[in-house]
Amino acid sequence: MAPDLLASLILVLPLASAALCALFLRRQGGLASAVSVTAAAAIAVCSGLLIFGGHREFPASWEWLRFGDFALSIGFKFDDLSALMLFVVSFVGFLIHVFSLGYMHDDPARGRYFGGLSIFMFSMLGIVLADNLLMIFIFWELVGFSSYLLINHWFERPSAAAASKKAFIVNRVGDFGFLLGIIACYWLNGTVNLSELATKGASGALVASTAIPLLLFCGAVGKSAQMPLHVWLPDAMEGPTPVSALIHAATMVAAGIYMLCRIHVLMVPDALTAIMWVGTITALYAAICAVTQRDIKKVLAYSTLSQLGYMVAAFGLGSLAVEHDTATPGEAALAAGVGAAMFHLTTHAFFKALLFLGSGSVIHGCHHEQDIFNMGGLAKKMPVTFACFTIGVLAIIGMPGLAGFFSKDAILYLAMENNTSVFVILTLTAVLTAFYMVRMWKLTFLGTPRTESSAHAHEGGFTLWAPLVGLALLSIFGATGPLGLFPKLAGSIATLIPVAHGSAHTTILIVSLAVMIVGAGAALLFYRSDKEDSLEQASRGFFRVLASKLWIDEAYGYYVGKIQQPFARALSFVEKIALAGFIIRGLAGVAGQIGIGARALHVGNVHVYVYWFLIGVVLFWSYAMGLF
Amino acid sequence: MPALPFYLLSAITAGCAIGAVALRNTVTAAFCLLGSLLGMSGLFVLLDAYLLAALLVLVYAGAIVALFVFIVMLLDVRGSDTRPATRVSLAAAGVAFAVLGAGLAVTFGRNLLATPAPLAEAPGLGASLKFYGEQLFTTYLLPVQIVGFLLLIAMLGVIVISKRFAPVEDAK
Amino acid sequence: MTVGLDQYLFLSALLFAIGFFGVLARRNAIVIFMSLELMLMASTLALVAFSRFNGTYSGNVFVFFILAIAAAEVAVGLAIIVALFRHRKTVMVDELNALKN
Repeated sequence: MAPDLLASLILVLPLASAALCALFLRRQGGLASAVSVTAAAAIAVCSGLLIFGGHREFPASWEWLRFGDFALSIGFKFDDLSALMLFVVSFVGFLIHVFSLGYMHDDPARGRYFGGLSIFMFSMLGIVLADNLLMIFIFWELVGFSSYLLINHWFERPSAAAASKKAFIVNRVGDFGFLLGIIACYWLNGTVNLSELATKGASGALVASTAIPLLLFCGAVGKSAQMPLHVWLPDAMEGPTPVSALIHAATMVAAGIYMLCRIHVLMVPDALTAIMWVGTITALYAAICAVTQRDIKKVLAYSTLSQLGYMVAAFGLGSLAVEHDTATPGEAALAAGVGAAMFHLTTHAFFKALLFLGSGSVIHGCHHEQDIFNMGGLAKKMPVTFACFTIGVLAIIGMPGLAGFFSKDAILYLAMENNTSVFVILTLTAVLTAFYMVRMWKLTFLGTPRTESSAHAHEGGFTLWAPLVGLALLSIFGATGPLGLFPKLAGSIATLIPVAHGSAHTTILIVSLAVMIVGAGAALLFYRSDKEDSLEQASRGFFRVLASKLWIDEAYGYYVGKIQQPFARALSFVEKIALAGFIIRGLAGVAGQIGIGARALHVGNVHVYVYWFLIGVVLFWSYAMGLF
Repeated sequence: MPALPFYLLSAITAGCAIGAVALRNTVTAAFCLLGSLLGMSGLFVLLDAYLLAALLVLVYAGAIVALFVFIVMLLDVRGSDTRPATRVSLAAAGVAFAVLGAGLAVTFGRNLLATPAPLAEAPGLGASLKFYGEQLFTTYLLPVQIVGFLLLIAMLGVIVISKRFAPVEDAK
Repeated sequence: MTVGLDQYLFLSALLFAIGFFGVLARRNAIVIFMSLELMLMASTLALVAFSRFNGTYSGNVFVFFILAIAAAEVAVGLAIIVALFRHRKTVMVDELNALKN
């Protein structure tokens, strides 16, 4: 089948499914779920054909709008990078669709949910396959909208409604910067098409500007929840767990990283330094916050934040491999950053989706209990979930042999080579990652059941554990190494991954092993299987500082409530008086006054009118006489 | 052009005009208007416009002034203004008269005391009805048609205005 | 002295002014109307005088039309006055001021 037809099918199928579900199948949840899952399966098949069929760089572009010289076109750019991302989105998406069949089986609004999932797949695949920045932006906004829809699935809950609004608004702030970046890119470089930008970059014709990549990075800050726009991701856990897995762990939040890799040709060293530090600080901050969380999904949310920080930092680190006297943007300089970031993105998608789905299985089994201090002893009650979840935890903390080990090592090696302070911070973050993940794992699965709901926990059905097994397999085999699948998926990207050799290799190996043992061991020893948080009991003040999340949410609330709202009210007042009052009604008021004045002339007395006539005659006569 | 008939007729015309304007009794005023019309008709005769003189009497005096008198009788106004015009309005009217009259007289009557221009030769100016008929139906055909249309409209208008409208029946 | 065009024109102007005075000074609508007719007559006189002293017929023919129009105008105007009288029971123009303001 022709590749552009396959690509078009990949986009059209989820759109058609979403349209069907939204228009006709709102009430038939079963039929809607069948339609949506079938569409997801078809997408996975088409993606497989595209990726493994060897089609790359087929030209396909349709001009949509034209304003003089500027043309907005819809097209596909399919190279190794998009092939890799397509695999992640379509296969992980398909597994999560299957999981949703079981998880949302009893939900009365299933039709709406599956419609939302389909529209999300459409939007995300649009971002993956897009060939110009404006198309990415369009689908970017669509993805934000789908996220809003799905977070808000249980809209009767005021917390869910507030969370979805928060997600959308915070994303909007980032998108403003993104749009400014696109405009700046078009203005300075004359095109927003990615292939054209790459050609210009290769020939050195790009304008070296720090503003463009930083503004474009704003979009990634919003979408991938970097500081300071990270506040929406923990709240987004109000949505159903499969949504959290798909959107807020594996794919949508990774779209920011993907976009950065797409525009790597525009990067300059200063921008990359800024990006690196933003990622690093986010990683550390999120890891600190995750230590104190009680909700299983919140722990995973902060873990996602932290890992996203890793990816962003990896991308930012890539530049320092180039000497500073060759400061022009170019592909070779960033190759290492792109490789490490995409590698970690892929492995993170696998094990984070696994962890989220595992937590979904746990929540489902414990009858919608989400507090880890109310669980315990689930290892025996839910063995398959336990096994898969353990694989996920081992992957994230860097057990040698599993996917996360290789990708994390790549990032740590890159940091060690390029920037020692970042390396130290990332290593500390890795310790914290191991610490809180093992804490969560221990409190959830080990020990004895602490409440009724966990005592009666049971494994879910086939649709609940089969995706877990699939993702666990991907977590084991999805990287490099002797049994790795990653090189087959990623093609040229895999060759960009920084691989340590010799003494550096040994150093990194020792560091990561040490990190894992220290973090995991501390958690295992420190936390008792208890209803209270042991750390909180140990030192209440320190715990409260950690749990405060540095009061960032409060700061935003203060700003919006006390600064922005009064400003908006003042503007509204000025608008009422100046614009609506003077300028708009002013002109009308002048006309009205003239009318009132003219009306006063209508005395009602005929004789007065005749006198007016006389005045007119006199005027005419004097004009005719030549008096004036 | 003999002067005496002119001055005599103009005295009649102007005097009756002032009477029409100033008299309190409306019917008397109407009759003064009639007298002014007769004087005007005589002036037309002096100007060799015999047909117009006859038409003036027929149409104006015979129809229009008759209509005026008829309406005065119909409305049964007590023939006098119940309140005389105030001094201010009279003074204003007098000023207006002075302004207008002076202006017009200055414009038209500048050469009043000079020797007038001789009468132009106008062969057949006192011509017959036939001549007027020819003119009306050839050169001035369009104005005739338009005036006919105007009279039709006026008739319709009068009928519509003077209808007494019955109160609208409430359909419910 | 011989009577020329200027004498006729002066008379016409005088009649016009008298009519104008009548419109301004009288309160009875019917009398105002009569004054209007007086003004019309003044203009017909001027027309005929011009026509005679220039040796053309066009002034005379114009007077034809003025007569017709004056007739129509009087008819409609008096009909309006009658209709007003029916509603307002008065023909004094200073009492007919419903269109004030």
